[in-house]
Amino acid sequence: MLSIAPAPSVAEPEPPPSAAAPAHIAGRGISVDFAHDGVVQRVLSGIDIDVARGSFVSLIGPSGCGKSTLLKVMAGLLAPSEGTMTVGGLPPGEAAKRHMIGLVFQEATLLPWKTALENAAFLLTVGGRATPKDVALDKANEMLRLVKLEGAARKLPSQLSGGMRQRVAIARALALDPEVLLMDEPFGALDAITREEMSRGLLEIWERTGKTIVLVTHSIDEAVFLSRDVHVMATGPARIIETLPIDLPPHRDEETFNLPAFGEAEAHLRRLLIQGHAGEHR
Amino acid sequence: MSVLDQATFRPRAAARGALARRLRTVGADVLPPLALLLAVLAAWELAIRLMNVSSFVLPAPSAIAVSLVENHRMLLQAARVTSVEIATGFVLSAVVGVAVALAIVRFERFGRALYPLVVLFQTVPKVALAPIFILWFGYDLAPKVVLIVVIAFFPVAIDMMHGLQSVEPGFIALMRSVGAGRGEILRRVQIPYSLPHLMAGLKVAVTLSVIGAIVGEFAGASAGLGYVIQLSSTQLDTALVFAALVAVSVLGLAFYYALEFAERLLVPWSSKFDPLHRG
Repeated sequence: MLSIAPAPSVAEPEPPPSAAAPAHIAGRGISVDFAHDGVVQRVLSGIDIDVARGSFVSLIGPSGCGKSTLLKVMAGLLAPSEGTMTVGGLPPGEAAKRHMIGLVFQEATLLPWKTALENAAFLLTVGGRATPKDVALDKANEMLRLVKLEGAARKLPSQLSGGMRQRVAIARALALDPEVLLMDEPFGALDAITREEMSRGLLEIWERTGKTIVLVTHSIDEAVFLSRDVHVMATGPARIIETLPIDLPPHRDEETFNLPAFGEAEAHLRRLLIQGHAGEHR
Repeated sequence: MSVLDQATFRPRAAARGALARRLRTVGADVLPPLALLLAVLAAWELAIRLMNVSSFVLPAPSAIAVSLVENHRMLLQAARVTSVEIATGFVLSAVVGVAVALAIVRFERFGRALYPLVVLFQTVPKVALAPIFILWFGYDLAPKVVLIVVIAFFPVAIDMMHGLQSVEPGFIALMRSVGAGRGEILRRVQIPYSLPHLMAGLKVAVTLSVIGAIVGEFAGASAGLGYVIQLSSTQLDTALVFAALVAVSVLGLAFYYALEFAERLLVPWSSKFDPLHRG
């Protein structure tokens, strides 16, 4: 039904010498400065990050720690002031143009005059790699099935609930058949029950497709439940303070929440976040 | 109605119920303003008769009705002239307004130069330009159309511009990331997005177009409802002035509701039509 993470369409260049293993997403010394009224503020400071192919990692931290900024750099939406980022060995902007990157934001950002199906197909029909409409619609249909929304294909966004709209947004990202799925608080605007349902759905999609997923979240539960690695970020200056491997069985369900390791990881992350938060007020 | 009646499904009765409900909603929308209007007219009529007001100061509603009927041929002829002015002026306002908005949004540098000038121009009292347009363009259609355009393009331009800029930045970033160009983003996302805003601007523009046509005729004309109003007021035929005013209002309403109708056809997805007002 869905091809397992396709090989990159171009030969990967030699990995940078500092990388131990060829990471799917690799950032070296990433710094980002924003200028506000002539005052330059460092939003990210010298970040190194490696995300292995096919893994599921979370970026967690207090607001203002630069986790969304780091995701934007990975997506090629923002050029770092210093350092280099590569996705599948390519500069992120180039990777995105080749449909190697799928993006999901907190808001579904669907086009209100298009049906769920047309919205899911839309990105396939624009840009230099635009596909014919019927091919795009077929692909979108397949993705709506994957996010369990085939019944709502003909509905307009205004007729869908928040969770359903977000599933359309995920289907739209997956329709590109990207190698990497970058998600910026995708469930942040949803209620707790829908959130959990969406998390389990996302995990299922990840298991079936083998995509590399990077999730920005401020929910500790969500990070532990979903990820294989959690990168904890802190402010002042914005940086990664620890990378915590989550020692839980690969397949996760409701029972996962009751495992001792879940509680331990959660407690550990909470401590780190409180420290990071304290750092903000130094 | 008994419990048994309600439990048995009767499609015809259900349809009748739906129709009755619909009529009730229409009634709720239409009846109160209609009743108020009739009350005002009755009070007006009564006041004129009781206080013996001279008909060339303020005619009674009945006198206006008589004038409407007596002069209906002449008024229809005048309304035709004014309608052509309004329609031509409105369409050109829409074209100019949309073009200005697209230019400002699509060509940023040019837009930064143009936008302040458009706003500055808006502070000029354009009614005062009417005599100049008569001087430049003569007594016929042209000066009225030009006057309408300078009055009515502005709300179209501003609303369309806001509409074009109302697309979530995240979505534009998403399109850019897959390699969509500015023209493609404008054509496939920003323009459709702006349509509900455009319709709102057009509705303001059409009422301004009516004003523009009448003012244009005041400044110099040989036909049209504005001309009738001016001529009959100098002849102290106040009933005819009011009859022409009624005709102007009817014209304005017709243009406005034609746009409301077009809106339902063009942007049925607009959140405006969503009974639950969900985004």
